[in-house]
Amino acid sequence: MEVCGSSNVSLREFGCEQSLLSRPDGSASFIQGDTSVLAGVYGPAEVKVSKEIYDRATLEVLIQPKVGLPSVRERSQEQCVRETCEASLLLSLHPRSSLTLILQVLHDDGSLLSCALNAACMALMDAGLPMSCLFCGVTCAIDTDGQIITDPTAAQEKESRALMTFAIDSTERRVLMSSTKGSFTVHELQQCIAVSQKASEKIFQFYRDSVRRRYSKTLE
Amino acid sequence: MKDTPLANCERDFLLKAIEEKKRLDGRQTYDYRKIKITFGTDYGCCFVDLGRTRVMAQVSCELVAPKENRPNEGIMFFNIELSPMASPAFEQGRQSELSVKLNRQLERCLRNSKCIDTESLCVVSGEKVWQIRVDVHMLNHDGNLMDAASIAAITALCHFRRPDVAIQGDEVTVFSPEERDPIPLSIYHMPISVSFSFFQQGTYLLVDPCEREERVMDGLLMIAMNKHREICSIQSSGGIMLLKDQVMRCSKIASVKVSEITELIGKALENDKKARKAGGRCGFAESIPQERITALKMEESPVEMMDVTERANDIVQKAEAPPQTVPSPVVPVPGVGQVGQGLQNTWGLEDDDEEEEEEEENGNRGEEQEGKASKMEKYEKEESRGGDVVEISDSEEEEVVILHPETSDKAPVNTGSRSSSHQKGAAKSKKK
Amino acid sequence: MAGLELLSDQGYRLDGRKATELRKVQARMGVFAQADGSAYLEQGNTKALAVVYGPHEMRGSRSRTLHDRAVINCQYSMATFSTAERKRRPHGDRKSTEMSLHLKQTFEAAVMTQLYPRSQIDIYVKILQSDGGNYSVCVNAATLAVIDAGIPMRDYVCACTVGFVDETPLADLCYAEESGGVSSLALALLPRGGQIALLQMDARLHQDHLETLIEAAMTACKGVSKVLDEVVRQHLQEVSVLTGE
Repeated sequence: MEVCGSSNVSLREFGCEQSLLSRPDGSASFIQGDTSVLAGVYGPAEVKVSKEIYDRATLEVLIQPKVGLPSVRERSQEQCVRETCEASLLLSLHPRSSLTLILQVLHDDGSLLSCALNAACMALMDAGLPMSCLFCGVTCAIDTDGQIITDPTAAQEKESRALMTFAIDSTERRVLMSSTKGSFTVHELQQCIAVSQKASEKIFQFYRDSVRRRYSKTLE
Repeated sequence: MKDTPLANCERDFLLKAIEEKKRLDGRQTYDYRKIKITFGTDYGCCFVDLGRTRVMAQVSCELVAPKENRPNEGIMFFNIELSPMASPAFEQGRQSELSVKLNRQLERCLRNSKCIDTESLCVVSGEKVWQIRVDVHMLNHDGNLMDAASIAAITALCHFRRPDVAIQGDEVTVFSPEERDPIPLSIYHMPISVSFSFFQQGTYLLVDPCEREERVMDGLLMIAMNKHREICSIQSSGGIMLLKDQVMRCSKIASVKVSEITELIGKALENDKKARKAGGRCGFAESIPQERITALKMEESPVEMMDVTERANDIVQKAEAPPQTVPSPVVPVPGVGQVGQGLQNTWGLEDDDEEEEEEEENGNRGEEQEGKASKMEKYEKEESRGGDVVEISDSEEEEVVILHPETSDKAPVNTGSRSSSHQKGAAKSKKK
Repeated sequence: MAGLELLSDQGYRLDGRKATELRKVQARMGVFAQADGSAYLEQGNTKALAVVYGPHEMRGSRSRTLHDRAVINCQYSMATFSTAERKRRPHGDRKSTEMSLHLKQTFEAAVMTQLYPRSQIDIYVKILQSDGGNYSVCVNAATLAVIDAGIPMRDYVCACTVGFVDETPLADLCYAEESGGVSSLALALLPRGGQIALLQMDARLHQDHLETLIEAAMTACKGVSKVLDEVVRQHLQEVSVLTGE
């Protein structure tokens, strides 16, 4: 159960592009290795009377898979993303409005949920929606030897004994959401959380760098 | 979400500009916007940018039984998804008129024109054929979705490779991409649709309308052709009245445009083939423009794991220890009532595996009560066991393995011994 | 289909017609008493029934009311017994929805909707027997029904399906010809002005043949319009005789 060395614990290559779509208020595409997700945000906009909440904005998340129609799996992923976003967005600033977040899976090569969370956060930033903290997603897999692998590829995910995704917030590195699959001990869980918190620092630094780059011309 | 309605002054402005042969983005009447085609990592995935309209197509295949009246032919299935991302007017799950229209047009353009040899998709006649599924997702709606969708669909079909199949007598083997190289589909020709929009009752005509122009247009004429100047499909929509010479003129313009676009597609496919052969990484990741300030890339980076183990151990030890004596939670198996039996004693008295096994094998309420009585006796004997789940049920399952929650406040040594004693207990129950 | 000659050497088709000959058209107007307008039309073996209600107040979603025109609502459906194999889903599938949209588009162009702002006109068409040329027969039947309802139109809307075999255009295709992989073109025309209300074509056709095909379609439509005109005049005569004028 011990983690030996740092050979498997690395994050794949990241890439991100913001404001790539003209219609949505905010859009971003996030790439982790070969996994890529495109996120679009509309809001705050008009909301249907049946869905309106008197003191908060109504957040709706839609995940579109690449092939086929959305199924139960997408619904559960949507739930995870929505709860994370609701925890970090300042929804009470836009009562009786709707925020719609649409995520399109462009390619799935493992760590899909964390890629979706990262894309969602960047899109919300791009849309200029007020948030109390940023969040990022990190996936850890525990393979059959007990080694912890962060940001696993699809092949690594298949071989793993347990797969966990955590959404970590930027201010205090706490866990906003966790979604796990497979069996593992409490010890392993805590180790994975610690690893994710470490990994999230890299991701938040990446967020900072990309935003700084984005506004470099305006800040000059 | 509703789309912002078009203001009357904007409408008048657009119509007036069109009368003066001016377009919003400065194009000429017969000019297309810039078309950019990129491919994804796996075969059959293609992104098309028509100006700011963005569309993604994905082709996938699967072995299914063929249709009854066509046992020798494969099946082609097209699906255009108007993703809510593309426009606030699109709603998830609702089959709007536009969605039906686009789907039918794409089907007619690609399926009825027989651009793909469906007979080559047959594996075992009458039993197994390939079903090729094309999913087109609209990512950004800035006008002329039909053309972008048709370009994306046909490019993705040309790019797609299906798994190789070998038939030996009755045995059919499907090879994975690692075993044998996948083979491309046999495509006869590439139909591409060109859209013409009409304004002021057919007086003015524009090619490739953008979204604003689409809102003020009277009607649309879609002509799908291939580069051999064969018309694959014509569809007029929107309630306009056309004259024959208008249609003829449009078909001439369309043939010119189609040959240009086909060349572009050919070039893009060639470039992608070269890139894949050279072994480089190709895919969406590579197509992120590096020079833009809205894009950033970061290389693979290791994560520091120095103090992870210690931290984890810390947290685990500092975690609130679950109480020593856990009352046995009573879990009635669904379908079993508790009437007349009373609930299990929750005073923290432990229970034993083996007694439960007896209960379940009896499968009888009366005997359960007896079993419980003996259980009560045994309580004093057993000590310091973790909380057990008591299942009251009529099930006659022979073998039941009860999982015990781990209590992490004891040192690892104890855990080992406990687990072994648990295992002994489970082994005993299994023997029964 | 090998062995099935759609056009023989002497110029005869499968059912003995010549290349430009239309099928026999029989029509009756005023078939239903309770509808505002109705018509039954047979073109060869294809039989269609069209019923028109309106113009009346907007029903259903009030938000779709147009302030300056009437809304035309069309529904196309096929009877389950209309085809050789029982049709599982008579309406609601993509093809029927597409046909309904096409019908709506055709009649929006022809009916003078500006005379009835904030109203709705319903046109329902049902195919009772399908033997090719479904769309054209629907349009012709619906035209008669609209005239029977007394709703003003710019001109008759006549439609015809033509195919192209061996460099010859065949007018008014039947089912065997349509499914034989022939390039077919469906055209809805307002004959007097030569304006095309709907143009739809599937299957491959070389661009050079397009003009001949459209010409043939327009001629066929003009032929149909003559027949429809006769039917309308005869019906008017019958009705005026009954009302004693």
